[in-house]
Amino acid sequence: MQVYSFYIFDRHTECIYSKSWFTPPPPASSSLTSPSTSRPQSQQPAPHASSVTSPPVASLVVAPPSAAALKRSKQKKDDDAKLIFGTVFSLRNMVRKLGGEDDAFIAYRTGQYKLHYYETPTNLRFALLTEPGALSMRNVLHQIYINLWVEYVVKNPLSPVEHKGGEGVRNEMFEMGLDKFIRGLM
Amino acid sequence: MSANKAARVGEEIWKGRIDKVNAELVTLTYGTIVAQLCKDFEADYVEVNKQLDRMGYNIGLRLIEDYLAKSNTMRRCSNFRETADMIAKVGFKIFLNITPTVTNWTSDSKQFSLVFEENPLADFVELPDDGRAQDELWYSNIFCGVLRGALEMVQMQVEAHFISDVLRGNDTTEMRVSLIRYIDDELPPEDD
Repeated sequence: MQVYSFYIFDRHTECIYSKSWFTPPPPASSSLTSPSTSRPQSQQPAPHASSVTSPPVASLVVAPPSAAALKRSKQKKDDDAKLIFGTVFSLRNMVRKLGGEDDAFIAYRTGQYKLHYYETPTNLRFALLTEPGALSMRNVLHQIYINLWVEYVVKNPLSPVEHKGGEGVRNEMFEMGLDKFIRGLM
Repeated sequence: MSANKAARVGEEIWKGRIDKVNAELVTLTYGTIVAQLCKDFEADYVEVNKQLDRMGYNIGLRLIEDYLAKSNTMRRCSNFRETADMIAKVGFKIFLNITPTVTNWTSDSKQFSLVFEENPLADFVELPDDGRAQDELWYSNIFCGVLRGALEMVQMQVEAHFISDVLRGNDTTEMRVSLIRYIDDELPPEDD
């Protein structure tokens, strides 16, 4: 199974951690941006550059890398995170409206990827992007929360309670633990 | 979750999933902290209560995540009564191996009391005999802050304070907890 990327959002809706396991050729950084960037369109199969098997997407590779391109790719990454948050937040709210307060949004799938979602009662939100055929990753995300987040971030006395700008999240134990855990799934 | 089921869950977690430490170590460490605060603030007990509450608050902000992880809680309590049961029968149970009694509900179900039959923080304790500590110091005030911090993280703003303490010569040790409001989810900033 292929895992593409992973995001954590805090209760203030900020992306406090993101990681990608699939590095496409430099300029074609993984992108979820649909042509209209105004509102996230959850059900549209957004183009995902990280699937090399799909010729139309791979053909998007055009410009050579440069400093400006790197800046753009960082900008793109931030935009991706914002779009993902907007999407999962809207879906979660819609799911609760339709299915009742106890209903939970778990995943959605497009032609290119599957997004798995997990939320704690403290409003910490986890999103994991995998290949479309992946089984439920709900338990995986729960394990990341209890075995990695709580152990290495929350219980780290030097890490702040609020993780503004991702402060305190990118510590070695958490990074290593997460990487090992995810690679174990692939 | 019903009160009985909460008690069973608490018991199960306590037996199976919790690393234990020596209770006297906890009692003596806490006692040292309170004694030091009394010294630092020159027996200004109102200030000591405040400091204990603040320490507890900072503990609560983190402890809630450990509580959720250990208790495997995936969903929110459906009402404040369930919250009270989970605090008493799961929270206090797994962290301190005590189960305070939930009682004295107001009719609007927004205020309850926790009555502590045992309190590991207060073993071996005698309040200072200066004529004021008995009336002013809430020795276990750290608990109030812990609850306030922990519940804030799960979108509940509460107020908690002790109204009696056996250390002061009262018959019971009782904490009053009031729900002020449920905190709304934060929304992402608007795109510009």
